Amino acid sequence: MSGATQDNALKGSGATRIIIYTVLILFMIFYLLPLYVMLTNSLKPLEEIRGGDMLALPKNWTIEPWRAAWSYAQIGVQPTGLKPYFINSIFMVVPAVLISTSLGALNGYVLTKWSFRGSDLVFGLLLLACFIPFQIVLIPMARILGILGLAGTTSGLVLVHTIYGLGFTTLFFRNYYAAFPTELVRAAQIDGAGFFQIFWRILAPSSAPIAVVTIIWQFTNVWNDFLFGVSFADFDSIPMTVALNNLVNSSTGVKEYNVHFAGAILAALPTLIVYIVSGRYFVRGLMAGAVKG
Amino acid sequence: MARLKIENLYKAYGATKVLKGIDLEIEDGGFLVLVGPSGCGKSTLLNCIAGLEDVTSGDVIIGERSVTELHPSKRDIAMVFQSYALYPNMTVEKNISFGLEIRGMTKPDRIKAIEEVADMLQIRELLKRKPSQLSGGQRQRVAMGRALVRNPQVFLFDEPLSNLDAKLRVDMRTEIKRLHKRMGTTIVYVTHDQIEALTLATRIAVMKDGIVQQFGTPDQIYNDPVNMFVADFMGSPAMNLLPGKVVKKADGLMLSLDGHDGVMLLPVPLTDDLQARVGKRVIFGIRPEAFTDPQGADRESKQVEKRDCFVEVVEPAGSDTFAVVKLGGKSAVARLRADAHIVAETVTGLAFNMGKAVFFDPDSGERIK
Ligand SMILES: Nc1ncnc2c1ncn2[C@@H]1O[C@H](COP(=O)(O)OP(=O)(O)OP(=O)(O)O)[C@@H](O)[C@H]1O
Ligand SMILES: [Mg+2]
Repeated sequence: MSGATQDNALKGSGATRIIIYTVLILFMIFYLLPLYVMLTNSLKPLEEIRGGDMLALPKNWTIEPWRAAWSYAQIGVQPTGLKPYFINSIFMVVPAVLISTSLGALNGYVLTKWSFRGSDLVFGLLLLACFIPFQIVLIPMARILGILGLAGTTSGLVLVHTIYGLGFTTLFFRNYYAAFPTELVRAAQIDGAGFFQIFWRILAPSSAPIAVVTIIWQFTNVWNDFLFGVSFADFDSIPMTVALNNLVNSSTGVKEYNVHFAGAILAALPTLIVYIVSGRYFVRGLMAGAVKG
Repeated sequence: MARLKIENLYKAYGATKVLKGIDLEIEDGGFLVLVGPSGCGKSTLLNCIAGLEDVTSGDVIIGERSVTELHPSKRDIAMVFQSYALYPNMTVEKNISFGLEIRGMTKPDRIKAIEEVADMLQIRELLKRKPSQLSGGQRQRVAMGRALVRNPQVFLFDEPLSNLDAKLRVDMRTEIKRLHKRMGTTIVYVTHDQIEALTLATRIAVMKDGIVQQFGTPDQIYNDPVNMFVADFMGSPAMNLLPGKVVKKADGLMLSLDGHDGVMLLPVPLTDDLQARVGKRVIFGIRPEAFTDPQGADRESKQVEKRDCFVEVVEPAGSDTFAVVKLGGKSAVARLRADAHIVAETVTGLAFNMGKAVFFDPDSGERIK
């Protein structure tokens, strides 16, 4: 480890180092313990869990709870497992993330490079949208979805999440593009490029860091959302989070903790994967924004 | 190639007036340099010519056609920005050909155009690189290449050399001059650097606070400034501007200055304006090179006056030696030959080339002829 990177401010003695690593390891255990408990218990038969020791490794390994959670556990009244709801969530998250990110990028582009009279006001209002509590918009939103004929559909949820995410995605892209040299846009204008050509050919290729940040942010938020899902989804558009809740609450006799644990991990898996795959870029993107202002 | 004409141009951002009635004209193939202190509106004027800023009122004419209402891409201009503004995600080749591609030129034609420009600027081996892999001077060349390849009516340069180190600046300056000779395209060039202005321009416009103070040839600007601002702004070291007084003596009109031991008198031309100021204060302007050691003085000039001056400081500067002289209550700079024998803190005879002297009104700063 020592001297691995040049910009390492830490040149502590052995003792400091030991303390630091001890603390870090303690924190790591603290954070990993829940995952450990979930994982081990999801791989045990139910009797073993009821038998007591939550922290013990399984004696009889089984993947049956996972299969149950995925394909035949009782969700509400139907023995469908979480699979259809996982698919619902994917159909909701992917368009919502892509649309809100693209619109945020376009907004940021317009607000910084084509600013018009009142553009600061527009930006202010969009920012305000970030701070409106979910609960306030529930009833008006239900009404609008009704008028649009989107009540209870996945498209309706996509619309809700797109609108709600727009404030954040615009904020991210606006701050990123504010540091993007305007002279490049002017040079492209003189070269004859139009509004969208400039966006596609000049700005978009340099936007990867902020796009990653925005996509992770939106993906996590939309995937983990419960309130909009429970409020606006119908039977055939229920997202994963709501289904998980239904799974845990379908109390027909015994609580199948092992199935619940497996279901919870399944519900968390996509966000985990997104972080693991692109977390590095996330931090890098945040830093880039911070340094450039 | 075309002439460029700017008529009564105004530009305001809300209540801030940045350009206040600019009138300029540059002939086909001319090289117009805009100089002036920071914030005087040079870049704004250039952007108005390019169409990157809308004008508040007035007209921009390229060739015979008013382009005031046209989009930047329709004005047939090319611009080199101070920061070069190279597209960071594209190779040098792509950077140069982007405009051609947008305009729908076919690939074989583009390749031919790129190669021509690359040869002219000697950047052939850089074509596959990204801008981040180039040095400052190379980036500058690529930015020029991007402008040249379009073969426009007018080139606009906004301080293209200001990011380069001193040596490279001099090299690139020569290169720009060479390119201009060769292509003969009309150029508008913004700079802070007066040497750049004087060496490159066929016409110079000196600006201040959104107003053109003087518009003329480099010779006019340097030797015949219309006011104290222009006189002071152009030239390095700056012109000496010394307070004095016009007096009438038996042998004609004289300028009286505070010398080191009482009043120093210098003969001045017997013009009406100066005669009208007998007994009044004036500012006496003389460039350092017109104030020198007697051996170094201009032999052609009929009006060389030798006077004793008290030299405070001597600053050898290689090719020249500068002497700081107490005169008119101020420190005046004299420019001497490098091998002139001069000692600090002594009284020495120095020559004033009065043929090059200029006079200004101390209150308005206007020239007195
Ligand atoms: N968008 C704007 N809104 C308001 N004022 C502006 C704007 N752009 C420029 N100005 C003002 O216009 C004036 C002229 O600016 P400009 O950039 O043309 O100066 P400049 O002569 O190019 O200066 P420099 O030599 O520093 O580049 C400045 O006082 C500046 O503050
Ligand atoms: Mg400028």
